[in-house]
Amino acid sequence: MISLATNLAQTGWPVPMAAPTLSHYLFVSAAMFVIGLIGFLTRRNLIIMFLCTELMFQAAGIALVAFSRYHLNHTGSTFVIFVLTVAAAEAAMALALIVLLFRRRESLDADEFSDMKG
Amino acid sequence: MDSIINPIIFYAACALGGVGVCLALPRGKRSVQILGAIIASMAGGLVLLGLGLKSPSQLPNIYFYIFSLISLAGALRVVTHPRPIYAALYFILTIISSAGLFLILSAEFMAFALVIVYAGAILITYLFVIMLATQAPTDEGVELLAEYDTASREPVVASICGFVMLAALSTMLFSGAPSIKPTGTASSDSSLLVFMPKKVENSLRNHGLMKPDEVLAKADSGDGYAIWTAAENSWVKVKDAAGTVRTIPGSEWPADLKVKNVEALGFTLLRDHPGSIEIAGVILLMAMLGAVVLSRKQVEIDEDAKMRHAQRLANPDGTTPEPNTAGGAR
Repeated sequence: MISLATNLAQTGWPVPMAAPTLSHYLFVSAAMFVIGLIGFLTRRNLIIMFLCTELMFQAAGIALVAFSRYHLNHTGSTFVIFVLTVAAAEAAMALALIVLLFRRRESLDADEFSDMKG
Repeated sequence: MDSIINPIIFYAACALGGVGVCLALPRGKRSVQILGAIIASMAGGLVLLGLGLKSPSQLPNIYFYIFSLISLAGALRVVTHPRPIYAALYFILTIISSAGLFLILSAEFMAFALVIVYAGAILITYLFVIMLATQAPTDEGVELLAEYDTASREPVVASICGFVMLAALSTMLFSGAPSIKPTGTASSDSSLLVFMPKKVENSLRNHGLMKPDEVLAKADSGDGYAIWTAAENSWVKVKDAAGTVRTIPGSEWPADLKVKNVEALGFTLLRDHPGSIEIAGVILLMAMLGAVVLSRKQVEIDEDAKMRHAQRLANPDGTTPEPNTAGGAR
């Protein structure tokens, strides 16, 4: 652990937050992911279910940027750009579908559409 | 794990958070929800405090605690708020405080891209769709909530699963994270200066280190300029009009001659992942095509409805006027 701290001292990352900080960020990311997951499982409104998937994307993004900073390269941040791209594409498609589904049933309840299952 | 947080505190806080989130999920009683939210935020605060208290000398940045508490509370509110509009607004709060976390991680470009793309574009789309697709029944001017917004589906099972997963994930992360060694070094960024001769030249000129008649010398190998960056030994060679070559060592370089976050990110993006950009472009194109195809259907219905409405207006005898809403023809 000592060598890790000195290694980080050369990198400009403030040493006092050396080792624990990565775990701090990973905890925030995991907690946000789990909150999004619970929301996706429990809420019945289609729009909020998609908001929760965005929340999970966001949690993954925090972990990626934290690792990117920890390793002092920008690959993680670059990947977050693609996560943003996929989130934008997903939002466009999913919301168009949601509007169509709403016009069909006048309801956003996910259980309304359970007759689609075989 | 022991060196990061006391396991007993952590698992107790996980259980507490599970109970809190379970209570806070939408249900009939509002007081129970508030109680649950308080319990859940107490649990979150307990974990963050426990993470900090374990080693008081190693307290991370205070802004980390502020931003992470705001973003987790916002996330909780996204999940628990019965009204979709407010859920979307709380999601914007979460995004903005995550952007703050990104700033602490010195990923400035990602922070601003997050605010622009997520808070500015994606969430506005969500708000539009919420306004298009929700017609809350009203009762004497008071908007009632739809049944599917006020009752959640199996909150207990989902909370238990979620928080067991959080405990397992965090245990693995906390025991694994200290053994991850950072791979980069501080100088890894400044090595990109080799590819930016114009920036080096401008910076040196502005600080008077290069005379007006001097230019950067070509590298011996023939391509590029004579710029060398290493951890201790950096230099750049300049040549004046007479052809005399002079070396400016890295110790004399101005302090602002550094690769910025955006520049480094751009180099990583365009030099190391050019194929991914193409794929991202194709994904966005496909999403656009898909959205256009999906919404075209609606336009046809609207035209139909308009035509019938026009016919009704033309010969009103025998037909009762109906309120013609968009998409009313089904």
